Amino acid sequence: MMSQKHASYRADKRRFAVLIGAPSLIWQLVFFLLPLLFLVMMTFWSVRNFRLQPDFTLANWTMILNAGFFRSAYLYTFSISMITAAIAAVAAFPVAYLISFRLSPAAQRMLMGLLVIPFFTSLPVRIYSMQIFFSPSGLINSALIGVGLSPITVLNTPVGALVGYLTLTMPLVILLQIFALNGVDRQLVEAAHNLRCGKFRTVISIIIPSARVGLVISFAMAFVFAFGDYISPQFLGGSNPPTLSILMADQVKSGNHWPRASVVAMTMIFTLMAMMGLLLKFAYGRSGR
Amino acid sequence: MSVTILELDGLSKSFDKQSAVSDVSISVQKGEFIALMGPSGCGKTTTLRMIAGLDAPTEGQIRIWGRDVSQDAPWRRDTPLVWQSYALFPFMSVRRNVEFGLKQRGMIAKDRTVKADEWLERMGIAAFAERMPHQLSGGQRQRVALARALATEPELLLLDEPLSALDPHLKVSMQTELVRLHRELGITFVCVTHSHSEAFAMADRVVIMDKGTVQQIGAPQQIHRRADNRFVAEFLGASNILDVKVLYADASGVAADSAIGRLSTQAPALKPVQVGEALSLVVAMDRVEIARSLSGAVNQVPGRIAMMEVMGASITAIVETEGGVTLRSQLSSRDIESNPLAVGDTVVASWDPASAYFVAH
Repeated sequence: MMSQKHASYRADKRRFAVLIGAPSLIWQLVFFLLPLLFLVMMTFWSVRNFRLQPDFTLANWTMILNAGFFRSAYLYTFSISMITAAIAAVAAFPVAYLISFRLSPAAQRMLMGLLVIPFFTSLPVRIYSMQIFFSPSGLINSALIGVGLSPITVLNTPVGALVGYLTLTMPLVILLQIFALNGVDRQLVEAAHNLRCGKFRTVISIIIPSARVGLVISFAMAFVFAFGDYISPQFLGGSNPPTLSILMADQVKSGNHWPRASVVAMTMIFTLMAMMGLLLKFAYGRSGR
Repeated sequence: MSVTILELDGLSKSFDKQSAVSDVSISVQKGEFIALMGPSGCGKTTTLRMIAGLDAPTEGQIRIWGRDVSQDAPWRRDTPLVWQSYALFPFMSVRRNVEFGLKQRGMIAKDRTVKADEWLERMGIAAFAERMPHQLSGGQRQRVALARALATEPELLLLDEPLSALDPHLKVSMQTELVRLHRELGITFVCVTHSHSEAFAMADRVVIMDKGTVQQIGAPQQIHRRADNRFVAEFLGASNILDVKVLYADASGVAADSAIGRLSTQAPALKPVQVGEALSLVVAMDRVEIARSLSGAVNQVPGRIAMMEVMGASITAIVETEGGVTLRSQLSSRDIESNPLAVGDTVVASWDPASAYFVAH
């Protein structure tokens, strides 16, 4: 009797949770999953006279996967995204540590508010302003020439793209790391100090392992954002070399070839899924003995 | 021959101008078991944290072996702490937890494994060396925490409410074990607790604190026999405390007037008292006897039994007196067998004038 009552109470609670969770799930289903399935379908279609035709051909897949330009773009996109994620994760850590461990709650809230501001302005606007900043006769070069140094070329190089990627990902990575570090049990830090572990060693041997999952996720998010970004490589990297996102746009722009663009998109989605899977496995995996 | 290992000298601590500890001075002898006891917020934990260097004193000194350590970082002190919630590193195995302090001292991997295993053996948890902390029970975690703190062989061990997170049946056995460990190791224990049964059962000396200040320091028996002030008497909870007004006082004792008539003690007052001064009379509950009728002796208060509280082998009779004051008398079950009492009985509560004393109001 009791257990039945209990079970029905639990079922009730679950029903309630399903009910309030359903709208968002349905939204994702309709506006994300269905188009995605359509995308998968489209990779098997063909294009004749710039017009899409339902079909079942592997031609798009074999063409793209065997193309040298795709392979080099893939390698470049993957590497620069990894570099972005690595730099962002490492560079963000001291900031996140400072904010999480050393500032008063009020200062912490204020800085976290400031970190959200970049999300208020859209990336193209920010990138455009950076373009002016980095242009051959822009602020930086004027300053360099002003002090008698030679101007540098950042715009339309991979370094330019990297600057864009870091600008895009850094605030997010810092915020995620702050959340990760805020979750670290302060008593463990004190316990380490109490056992004669100094500040720096405590960061390495207690704080980073404690915040491991959040830190790995911050890295993963930086990778995801950089891997899919179109604006930074296009306007700061000068689309040279092209990234997968640029390649995808080119397929559509040059030949209205949506199926090939879809194939590129699919390779990106697979890559991100594989990366996320690997990183999460690493994050939640057992640490040592 | 006693040697002072730890001295707290005029120690004060305020958080945002709020005083947490003020002017605490305690000196602890080598090998002593000291309990810091008091209600929550009395400053006992802050005092312990200052000894460990986790909070910096606003004023005063902490000396270990005569050297002022109050400005030293926690990782420069040798004051391992056993945390109330154990604070074991969740991502390390039991063995690695115990090795942690040894590693910080630069001991090589092989040696520290040997040492850690010795302590795990000693604490009876060698079988769990490979386990992660979350796979252990509360009692087992407590042992790991002790092994981790003791592995570096400190001279001073700090314990923060070491028994409060344990199940009641484990509390008693762990209490015995802490006392045994203390005796075997011969090192100094400073233990914070809010429970006077724990403090009195384990410690050589007890420091009772309230509102950041020391109220009394003494051996358990000494404090039990005579509280220094009304707070201590109330906090220990084992006494009747009555408001009285002094009628006369001399070297042989004090007589006072109260709501339940004239009461007297044979002990002289600790401080000189004035006639007419308001004081508190303290009578331990186990000193109050219950009779059926008046016998003409002093300190006899007629009343009626309002309640009988049974607590294991002891029974507390709650006597409502004619003056409206409630007296508690702690009796053994044998007392009750020889003199059965029931709620509603008319009785006379009394006590020997030698066993009562006055404290400031």
